[in-house]
Amino acid sequence: MRILTLLFILHTFLFGYNYNDMLLKAQASIFPKIMMLDKKLEEKLIDGKIVYTIVFDEEDHDTALRISEFINKNYKNNFDKYSYKINLVKFTDLSIDTNASIIYMLNSNKDIKKVADIAKQKGIITFAYDINNLKNGLLFSLMLEKSTVLYLNKENLHTQKVDFVDSLLQMVKFIDKGNS
Amino acid sequence: MDNKSLNISLLLCSLLSLTSLHAQTDDLLASLSNDMTHFSEVATATKQNEHYQPYIISVFKGKDLKKLGVVNLEEALGLVPGVDMATDNIGIKTPIFRGSNPSAYGQSKLFIDGVPANSVFFDAYSEHLKMPIEMIKRIEVVRGPGSKTDGYNAYAGSINVITYAENFKGFDNANSIVIKGGSYKYGMVGFTQNYEIDNFSIATDFSYQQDDKTLDSGPDGYSSGFSLDYSGLNTALGRTGEVLMWSETYSLGLTLNYNNTFYAKLRILDHTQSSGYGINLYMTDDKKSRMKLPNNYIELGIVENIDNFDISIKGGMKYDAFNSDARLAPDGLTYFDVKKYKEFLTDSDPDTNATAVLQTPIVWSDGMFGVHSAEQVTYYQSSFISYSGIKNHNINVGYRVSQEKTIAMVSKLSSWATGDVDLVDYTDSYPFFEDNVKRDTVALFLEDSYSYSDSLSFLVGINYEKTSLSDPLYEPRASMVYQHNIHNIFKLLYSQSHRNPSWQEMFTQNNHSRIGSTEFEPERVEAYEAAYVHILNSTNHIQSNIFYLKNSDQIQIIDSSNGTFANTGKTTIYGLEFEYKGNISTRDSLYLNYSYIDGEENNREPLSNVAQHMFKGYYSYDITNQYSVSSVFKYVGEKERIVNNEETRTDPLRAYTKIDLTVRYDSNKYNYSLMASVKNIFDADIRFPSKSKTYIEDYIQEGRNFMITLEKEF
Repeated sequence: MRILTLLFILHTFLFGYNYNDMLLKAQASIFPKIMMLDKKLEEKLIDGKIVYTIVFDEEDHDTALRISEFINKNYKNNFDKYSYKINLVKFTDLSIDTNASIIYMLNSNKDIKKVADIAKQKGIITFAYDINNLKNGLLFSLMLEKSTVLYLNKENLHTQKVDFVDSLLQMVKFIDKGNS
Repeated sequence: MDNKSLNISLLLCSLLSLTSLHAQTDDLLASLSNDMTHFSEVATATKQNEHYQPYIISVFKGKDLKKLGVVNLEEALGLVPGVDMATDNIGIKTPIFRGSNPSAYGQSKLFIDGVPANSVFFDAYSEHLKMPIEMIKRIEVVRGPGSKTDGYNAYAGSINVITYAENFKGFDNANSIVIKGGSYKYGMVGFTQNYEIDNFSIATDFSYQQDDKTLDSGPDGYSSGFSLDYSGLNTALGRTGEVLMWSETYSLGLTLNYNNTFYAKLRILDHTQSSGYGINLYMTDDKKSRMKLPNNYIELGIVENIDNFDISIKGGMKYDAFNSDARLAPDGLTYFDVKKYKEFLTDSDPDTNATAVLQTPIVWSDGMFGVHSAEQVTYYQSSFISYSGIKNHNINVGYRVSQEKTIAMVSKLSSWATGDVDLVDYTDSYPFFEDNVKRDTVALFLEDSYSYSDSLSFLVGINYEKTSLSDPLYEPRASMVYQHNIHNIFKLLYSQSHRNPSWQEMFTQNNHSRIGSTEFEPERVEAYEAAYVHILNSTNHIQSNIFYLKNSDQIQIIDSSNGTFANTGKTTIYGLEFEYKGNISTRDSLYLNYSYIDGEENNREPLSNVAQHMFKGYYSYDITNQYSVSSVFKYVGEKERIVNNEETRTDPLRAYTKIDLTVRYDSNKYNYSLMASVKNIFDADIRFPSKSKTYIEDYIQEGRNFMITLEKEF
């Protein structure tokens, strides 16, 4: 029992990260649609296109590529009336100069606040694979709970230049200190 | 155009544009909502959201298990917290959940793609345990009676095996072909193949496997003086040494689906195995001695959604059999004419005649052989309606009717009267099994799932069941799931369930090791369970739970000298289970579980043949994108012997630790994988407990062995 207790305690410090395939697909299907419910999306187009930027750690390159392929297969070059481009960017290469209409952040052990700060400066929406990163300043995440739940960190909403339709805000679950 | 007209035009344009924008937004919201519903449904069906369900459940993906070198369903179930494996003299293997009645077979139920697979004869599913892992997409194991699948009672646990027939939009399955070879001259070939044409889909899986296994064994039932003892004359005829454990299995699964509305599910399983430790406890060296356990089913169904109603109507037919053709006793057996003896016992003056028969020895100089066969069919039909039209409620109501019956029985044996080896047909005069038996069952099912809030939900339900062989039973169930926040979930569960006696427990006759009876009640259980789930992130979680099970009317053989089944009394079982699944880097996966089981039998004795401590897990590490190494380990603690007048063994059955190691190569270019596994790498002495006075050194299992697997996906 002592070993188990020790493992339990150690785990909270040691656990690593992997990806849930179904969650990746759910997010890749749903996040582009949320993005399009931003009434100020036009302001975020780059050369008339949506630039869907996926930020990842080096070891997750294959995962980022898989998501990109899944989006292309699902959306076939257009998010509704907008054409789009997927931009795969390593975390270390991300800067304020990186082209992005939105940022989708995969897991990272690095400082996620960097992503949040860049998004804030650019006034763009951020999506997080890991819900734990909402407390680091990212905006949306999605979980497969009893049903599919879309989480929004309302605190971060006001720091972005976004204006979502009211109906979306009725669908999301706001995250705060009480339920995070 | 004047200014007024221009203004009106601009206003109309604005309105049109606004209307168009609204329409676009509505379309987007509808599409978003559809996506969320779709993923909710897929997540629920595939148990991705297992933590939020009112069960204590462990889910294993076939893909992960393959990588670990797990060979088949039996090995996979060995990983489940609180589950141990048991066997007996006829080689039937049974997963034992939480130490609940280790000598009974049907306390857990197996469903393959939702179709019940336990046989009627044994209420077991041993013949399915060899199902190759390559045919399995996912295994969902619910511990405790909390699971009630379409009105079926799961007593101690239920296992739902999902094959690659399951398919969802956006989650296509790869087809595969697999070849395996290993120790004991094991060989296997198999494939899975799915076809889709418009709204019509066909999914198939096929496997053939055989081995020539032998295992070490201590003295058999003759050597120990238990089986067919006649003044000690037969003791020297018993055998010690190697027991034949070969097997051969064909399995074909076929699922047809039209428009996700109509389906047909078919499985044909033909399993043959050696007589093993002998139905009469004689460990034969006759390689032709065998037991066949076919298990086939077909189910047709309709699934339809109409507004707030989800409707499921299904019906099916199942066939299973017990068919033994074996040497039952060695050359030179000395015994008496049991058939005649029993006939005299029913006469008015039994003592003199019976005693005379008893005292007239007969010698079976060429041994004793027998053919015993009982074939069963089950017909069932069930309908279920789920209604979600009342806010926050989901009401399920349904019924299930079934008829199980024996359609053919054969009982042949070397002559009782003369000792001649040639088979005599005793089907009518001295059968091993009661003929023309049947059981009709009606089950009704009502359940309401109520969401009080986003974080708190309740489930209440009741099952009613009446069979033609037992009184009606009403069994309630209630549970609560509370999601405190995104990381912490609490569950409370209460449920009652029962297990109806199997055919062999009721109808076996004229047999030395087991005699059936219809004079007893179904086994009953009342379960209290509490669970806590801590979700660290989407791939890391810790689940812990405690349980308290009040069992009554447990069915066991009370006296091995006559082998009669009976209700033996009450058992109280309590314990805890702890489970962790996750990873410590991006290249690995780690799974650990621990279970503690304690309790008492008949209010005083400790639980017999139950490991109090079990610790299991696996670790898998991707060295590169092509190479990975994995290890599966299992510690099963010592087991106390049963306390009764017959058991002479006082030392507990020893604990063991089994460790397997697997190396895997994946060719991403050509989509194939090659795996080499060493099982039980330290050659641990693994034994499953035997009943008193049978195989006194217990049932010795496989030592170190290896397996090589080549699989190609396309």
